[in-house]
Amino acid sequence: MSSSEHGDGGQQDVIRLRGLEKRFGRRSALAGVDLTLGGQQIVGIVGPDGAGKTTLIRSLAGLLEIEAAEAEVLGYDLRADVGELKAHIGYMPQAFSLHRDLSVIENLRFTARLHRLETSAFTRRAEELLKRTQLAPFADRPAGALSGGMKQKLAIANALLVCPDLLLLDEPTAGVDVVARTDIWDLLQRERRRTLVLLSTGYLDEAAACDRLVYLDHGRVVATGTPAELRESVRLDAYRAWGDDPRAIAREARRLPYVAGARPTGRYARIDVGRPAPAPEQVLRDLVSLAHTEVRFAEPIPVDMESTLLALARRAGRQTAAQLAPTTQ
Amino acid sequence: MMNPIIHARGLTRRFGDFTAVDHLDIDVLPGSIFAFLGANGSGKSTTIRMLIGILRPTEGTIEVDGIDVIRRPRLVRDHIGYMGQRVSLYRGLSLRENVEFYAGLYNLSGAELERRWGALRERFSLGETEDEKAEDLPVGIRQRAGLALSTLHQPRVLFLDEPTTGVDVHNRGLFWELIQDEAKAGVTVFVTTHFLEEVEYCDWVCFIDAGRLIANDEPEALRRRYSAGYRIDIELPPEACDPAKALIRAAGHPVERTSIGLQLRVPELGAGTLATFERIAASHAGTIRIEQAPMTDVFRQVLAESGRPT
Repeated sequence: MSSSEHGDGGQQDVIRLRGLEKRFGRRSALAGVDLTLGGQQIVGIVGPDGAGKTTLIRSLAGLLEIEAAEAEVLGYDLRADVGELKAHIGYMPQAFSLHRDLSVIENLRFTARLHRLETSAFTRRAEELLKRTQLAPFADRPAGALSGGMKQKLAIANALLVCPDLLLLDEPTAGVDVVARTDIWDLLQRERRRTLVLLSTGYLDEAAACDRLVYLDHGRVVATGTPAELRESVRLDAYRAWGDDPRAIAREARRLPYVAGARPTGRYARIDVGRPAPAPEQVLRDLVSLAHTEVRFAEPIPVDMESTLLALARRAGRQTAAQLAPTTQ
Repeated sequence: MMNPIIHARGLTRRFGDFTAVDHLDIDVLPGSIFAFLGANGSGKSTTIRMLIGILRPTEGTIEVDGIDVIRRPRLVRDHIGYMGQRVSLYRGLSLRENVEFYAGLYNLSGAELERRWGALRERFSLGETEDEKAEDLPVGIRQRAGLALSTLHQPRVLFLDEPTTGVDVHNRGLFWELIQDEAKAGVTVFVTTHFLEEVEYCDWVCFIDAGRLIANDEPEALRRRYSAGYRIDIELPPEACDPAKALIRAAGHPVERTSIGLQLRVPELGAGTLATFERIAASHAGTIRIEQAPMTDVFRQVLAESGRPT
């Protein structure tokens, strides 16, 4: 497959969207998405349940009829005939959608034939992918009899088979263990050298490992940037308060007027403070003297991905409320 | 010491030549949150299916809430609640209609159902979506509804198989608060997950691989055993270093000078150690940073030491 007519690597935009909308009946799933992305990076689509992540990925794969001021993928217009575009895209849906009664290698061969891949090219590519996904020993096992993690790996191998110019993966690692996730990410890091890899994920460590994140909420892009840029953009200070009853600590911390959020874990509570914030010494003093519970020790900590995503969700919630306010008056 | 509410000995299941679960011993204390972890295909689901009485073990014994699960698999069902990754709600029925259907299975109706569901609806924030069709519920709400349904008959033990897979970070937090509430009310929670940071919410962790137990302990004990524990950096003005050093040594920990102040490593963070840090922070205006190994690293190390190629 030649990609020469569709740009050369990272220079050209792979995705250009302006005002992309998608409605399902009366429900608006995408409400004006603006997004421009170039190649050779791993871009993570993040956001709460129902934000429109799956609809965006399906739109980009040319599977939905959409409306937009501009909607170009690999130089093809999503509003026109997308038949040819689909040949250049590797897409993996959220639900396992390969043939359960075909073996691992038969599934791959089936995809290769649909794409008219030559036998020698198929053999080479399939061998390489089976090796890298560690599925080689299971090549003859029916896909339906694979474990959850192996099914996901097969689906990814299937999406990668024809060396696509754009990879669209909808929660490729949902329900996958940490070791298999590492294998999958090694594979994606390698693909990233040639293409744009766009994926959605619920894992915080994966979001932090993306080159770029697109935060979606209520069908709109609320924020984009590198993980570090997003962490900085939420303007938070984070603290950790250790004690015997972290749930009580979180509950009491939420009463402090400047606390944006507090989450208990087994041994401590994480406390997020929105800027402009009191000086750290003041926050630490307030935390160790919380009423109705004992904080043994409190410390400032770096803002993590969990705090970042929760803060973006809070901010998007406020934005929506502000947008709705005039019409409800 | 309390008697375990889940007690399995030599639990084994073979499928032909393949041994999915290989002589597992499991003890779960009442009212605890028990994390049951393992890689995909390690035998977790097979084990749960045996514990809840829908798959007969090849060998071994199981007792749940005093009931011999192998001999009386039907009886145990009134004592347990189960929820899987794909919550079983009937499509086409509203959430409320699903509740009535499940309540019927447990002979729960009328005022008793109203009371029970009314309380759950409130606590699980499900009131607004009660009339929505099951297929229209967002994932986070669907999983909460699943948890509510599995506790409708007030079971003593909850089995949750990957309940937070596919759920966003906000709803995962809410879900774990509900699980902790259940445990506080005395319910035993047996839960699997691939979000290893969720282990921090649990009282006990059991790792299996290839059907065998490879680690079985409290989360802190695993961290102590399979990681370098905690590293603490203390930023202090030079004149404050010696008094702080003395305090830490008195608490029983070796400590070193660094360019910014002091550094020490401790296998665990006891109340005394934390109190020492608080005293140093309060009296010397120092900044103390505690670093702990993430559970993903602990898990990798457990697997590596079990001899599995990673």
